[in-house]
Amino acid sequence: MMVFTCVPGPGRLQKKCLGKTYSDKNATARAGLCRAAVALLGLLLLLASQSLWAASQRLVLTGSSTVAPLALEMAKRYEQQHPGVRIDVQTGGSSRGILDARRGLADIGMVSRALQATEGDLTAYTIAMDGIGIIVHRSNSVAALTDQQIVAIYRGQIRNWREVGGADRPITVVNKAEGRSTLELFLQYFGLKNSQIRAQVIIGDNQQGIKTVAGNPGAIGYVSIGSAEYEEQRGTALRLLPMAGHSASVANVARGEFPLARQLNLVVVGQSSPLAQQFIAFAQSESVRDLISAQFFVAP
Amino acid sequence: MAKRGLEDASTAAGTIAERLFTLLVWGAAALVVAMLLWVLGDVLVMGLSHLSWEFIVAAPEDAGRRGGIGPILVSTLLILLVALAAAVPLGLAVAVWLAEFTRRGGRFANSIRLTLDVLAGVPSIVYGLFGNAFFSLYLGLGFSLLAGGLTLACMILPVFIRTCEAGLSMVNNDWRRGALALGMSRTSAIWHILLPAAAPAIVAGLILGIGRATAETAALIFTSGYVDRMPGSLLDSGRALAVHIYDLSMNVSGGDGAAYASALILIGLIVVLNTLAQWLAERWLSRRILNS
Repeated sequence: MMVFTCVPGPGRLQKKCLGKTYSDKNATARAGLCRAAVALLGLLLLLASQSLWAASQRLVLTGSSTVAPLALEMAKRYEQQHPGVRIDVQTGGSSRGILDARRGLADIGMVSRALQATEGDLTAYTIAMDGIGIIVHRSNSVAALTDQQIVAIYRGQIRNWREVGGADRPITVVNKAEGRSTLELFLQYFGLKNSQIRAQVIIGDNQQGIKTVAGNPGAIGYVSIGSAEYEEQRGTALRLLPMAGHSASVANVARGEFPLARQLNLVVVGQSSPLAQQFIAFAQSESVRDLISAQFFVAP
Repeated sequence: MAKRGLEDASTAAGTIAERLFTLLVWGAAALVVAMLLWVLGDVLVMGLSHLSWEFIVAAPEDAGRRGGIGPILVSTLLILLVALAAAVPLGLAVAVWLAEFTRRGGRFANSIRLTLDVLAGVPSIVYGLFGNAFFSLYLGLGFSLLAGGLTLACMILPVFIRTCEAGLSMVNNDWRRGALALGMSRTSAIWHILLPAAAPAIVAGLILGIGRATAETAALIFTSGYVDRMPGSLLDSGRALAVHIYDLSMNVSGGDGAAYASALILIGLIVVLNTLAQWLAERWLSRRILNS
């Protein structure tokens, strides 16, 4: 970079930058500004050019926000063990994971449910299990709800906790947003259609559901059991309800006894690359068990 | 006597109305300040315990519950740099064109102004989807800091242009006439007289833009992405601070402490950047008008 020259001028201060000479009282400031701009441009070009020869071994994962933190931790450990490999984990929901895998935008999609009959073009690899439990506010005196009662509450036929043996308080139904696999699983288990549900609150991610229910004594919602159990132990104002006689706990999900459980899957379309296959094998191996339980899921 | 009584009553009513109005104005001001203090206090109380130098420089661990936000801070700054590098020159040029090169009340310029005002009100998720479709997919930038920064540039441009244009239009016409009388070319009049005179408005636009860009989640989650690794280039994906806070508080159980500490850093960052923008603009633009 030969543009940065400082020439002491005849009598007056002169500064040069990009061939232009600054020789007024403000020479220092203005030439400095010009130099800063050149340096910035150089930095940007340098940063942009670096990636041309980097990332020869690269994987992109997109999809379920439930799986994303777990996949991110797995990816970090894999990168540590295999220098030169880069695994980019993006989020956005299970539907997006399937869409991106089909479009070829992602090498691997993350889907937090089992694949459906219409998704035969994809191959799923289960990396963990997760239970979905009904949660209510801690102050709610209702000990358990039957499946019929839950259906009636979500269809808007039961609108007050008094009708199921609780306090005289209106029920706030918390539902998941369209495209979330927790919603699909919930609907499938209870034989409901989303259009039948009369919800007061629509939520996205798990933790949002937990916060919504913990902040509203009349609320009912459904979230990932692992996170709910962890929050319950930390003293968050919520309670997991048993389902069909089985208490909602990670231990019960691990035993396969809890009725509303789901697979957390990595999915690929057709013939995947050797790197994708190696990463999937790593994600299913014993060496990531601690990561699965650290994110409150159950190893398959 | 009757008349005098009436006058007394009307002044008494006037005093009551006066006092009520004063009370209302003070009350409104106190309410707004209290809300701001509440938010700041909440973030300070919950975040300070988690905050340390280590937290600022270290990489996140365990989905962000442990470790720090070093790479995320770098990504945020790079995204902002790209956004400003794209938006400021373009925005200034459009503002100059609108204020100096178009007829007052011209139809084309007015339709541009209307478009900008509509664009300024568009929710950021719409910019996010546009950025994903255009920069990430169509231009092939993928999930990258560049795609995120350019999306943000699109988002902050309308407000920036309109603020700068308003600043330029406020400059007294005498200055323009003076420049003409001195035989200055249009370019040097704009560069040496009008832009420095509009500096306060430009800084205001810049601060609005920086604030909006730094606090953005929806426009970035599908453009710059979710990856929390230290970015190696502008074509790498990188997680912005606001996306990190959103993920920690909405998607990661037990992430609240780190989320509050990150929010504290975000607020600090915005204060530092705004002060810097103000200082730079003062130094650069207002000196020009005094010395040249």
